[in-house]
Amino acid sequence: MKIIEIKNLKKTYEDNSVPVHAVNGVDLSIEEGEFTAIVGPSGSGKTTLLNVVGGLDDATEGTVIIDGMEINTLSSRKLTDFRMFNIGFVFQAYNLIPVFTAKENVEFVMHLQGAKKAHREARSTELLKAVGLGEMMDRRPSKLSGGQQQRVAVARALASKPKFVLADEPTANLDSKSTENLLDIMEQLNKNENITFIFSTHDQRVVNKARRVVTLEDGKVKSDEKRE
Amino acid sequence: MIWSIAWRNVWRNKLRSLVMIAAIALGLFAGVFTMAFMQGAVDARIESATKTELAHLQVHAPEFLVNNDIALKIDNADEILGNIAALDSVVAASQRLIAEPFIMAAHGTGGGKLIGVVPEQEKKVTDIWEKIVDGAYLEHDSRMPPVVVGEKLAKRLRLKVGTRINVQMVDRHGNLSVKGYRVSGIYRTTNTSYDESTLFVKFKDLQAQLGMEENSAHEIAILLENGDEASAVKPSIQKVAGNYEVQTWKEISPEMSLLTDSMDQYMYVFILIILLALCFGIINTMLMAVLERVKEIGMLMAVGMNRRRIFFMIILESVLLTVSGGILGMLIGSVVTKFFETRPINLAMFAQGLEEYGFASQIYTSLRGETLITIGILVIITGVLSAVWPARKALKLNPAEATRTE
Repeated sequence: MKIIEIKNLKKTYEDNSVPVHAVNGVDLSIEEGEFTAIVGPSGSGKTTLLNVVGGLDDATEGTVIIDGMEINTLSSRKLTDFRMFNIGFVFQAYNLIPVFTAKENVEFVMHLQGAKKAHREARSTELLKAVGLGEMMDRRPSKLSGGQQQRVAVARALASKPKFVLADEPTANLDSKSTENLLDIMEQLNKNENITFIFSTHDQRVVNKARRVVTLEDGKVKSDEKRE
Repeated sequence: MIWSIAWRNVWRNKLRSLVMIAAIALGLFAGVFTMAFMQGAVDARIESATKTELAHLQVHAPEFLVNNDIALKIDNADEILGNIAALDSVVAASQRLIAEPFIMAAHGTGGGKLIGVVPEQEKKVTDIWEKIVDGAYLEHDSRMPPVVVGEKLAKRLRLKVGTRINVQMVDRHGNLSVKGYRVSGIYRTTNTSYDESTLFVKFKDLQAQLGMEENSAHEIAILLENGDEASAVKPSIQKVAGNYEVQTWKEISPEMSLLTDSMDQYMYVFILIILLALCFGIINTMLMAVLERVKEIGMLMAVGMNRRRIFFMIILESVLLTVSGGILGMLIGSVVTKFFETRPINLAMFAQGLEEYGFASQIYTSLRGETLITIGILVIITGVLSAVWPARKALKLNPAEATRTE
């Protein structure tokens, strides 16, 4: 089942009055349960593509349809709500709330969704255990390593039961052991719970784990390789 | 959870928040204490004016206060006085005769206001008898009628207890009348101009000098249980007084009323200036708090926190910061004010200047509950307004760019 459908997507920036075509006519479909890596050199449009697909940035042209909903047509407020209920985000720099504990960070999105306290507590505990942080739930981000913080970020991304997770270079700040650990966790979640992951990455270890690799160059899809 | 995140964000940079809270507390303490000090000064002035000079209400013949014509009198004064004194809200009432004589003493002359009082009645209404600093009040009996003078007049005319003065005036029949009085006491209030111009003699002595009929008076002064009720009680007194004019102390002395009203306004302007100054500090603090959290705010937007909630969160942070300092400042201000409510602040070095304007040189602070509530509301408004610009700045962030900010 197609979860994301991208048609002739273009995103053009003005850089000192010079137009920069960061994404230049991308057509792409993502099926439910895929484990996709979007790769390419710096400036190839990976992050811009993820931002537009995630509703964080507007498209200049083209359409992004998520689960049948064309997100380009949504108002800013509806788009925010759409992101909250449908998309999980994992950022390169973790971006956790430093004044909250790991558990509170995971609970936060559910709180925004209006979930009841008992549900929030049960789900955040379950997710933190799933990413191997069951013993560190009450620690603040400053008391966690980079790898542990990124695992909290993964748990947070999954808390709202999104249709897919967008991860922008999730391993860029991690050492190899933490990277391995994180990838194993995400691979398990993908296989066991059929969660769709889309990464932008430079990291060959991520590419090796991916079952689909989309390569971008100059804002266009250069290759799209599916692996078994 | 938004309250929780806002409160924890306040303490994210403890030093910065503590400095801001200390600044707000100091500013509010200064504001509260100054308001209590000025209120105390005004209250003392009003108390002096009502307890020593005016009482709470007065009855006169119409136009008497305008013309000071001794012919404008209250005719059935005893009956009216008795009826007024019988009213529930009235503590006491006193009848007076008033003349504006020329005073002659061995070392000088001058004008003044001579008030004839019945000492037993007057002592229940005003407290001049308690302010005698030398000699005795009017109970003293001697061959020559007694007069009580103010300290300032006594100094100017070099009067002492026992000194004789001659008082010259035109009586009711238009004849010049000169009568000798002997100084029986010298009083001192906190209003030197009053002390310099007002003399007291016995009602019957002035009655005789003016040639006034029995059962007539120029003024009936009335003391209430609560001076704030003067306007409310006025109609019931007017009913008893018939066609005579009944006026509250605020109507008799509009400058006193203006003093209370304008002092309130000045004080709120003063507080607003303090809060305006603090406002810039709070804006700066909140702006720094927003600018150093661009990435985090971008993340909050990305995961589904809408702009209304982000705006509310930043406003809440500012209000919590401001209210923390405000509560601390008002608390310290209240404690210090409470201390000086029973222990006067002595401004003896400015006594002469203050007393020229009728203010006491020893001031007891006075802080009203409604003042604190008003300041509290102003503090919250300051917190909200100070955060609007930083919050709007946060709302303008693009989540895609903000999440990748270094």
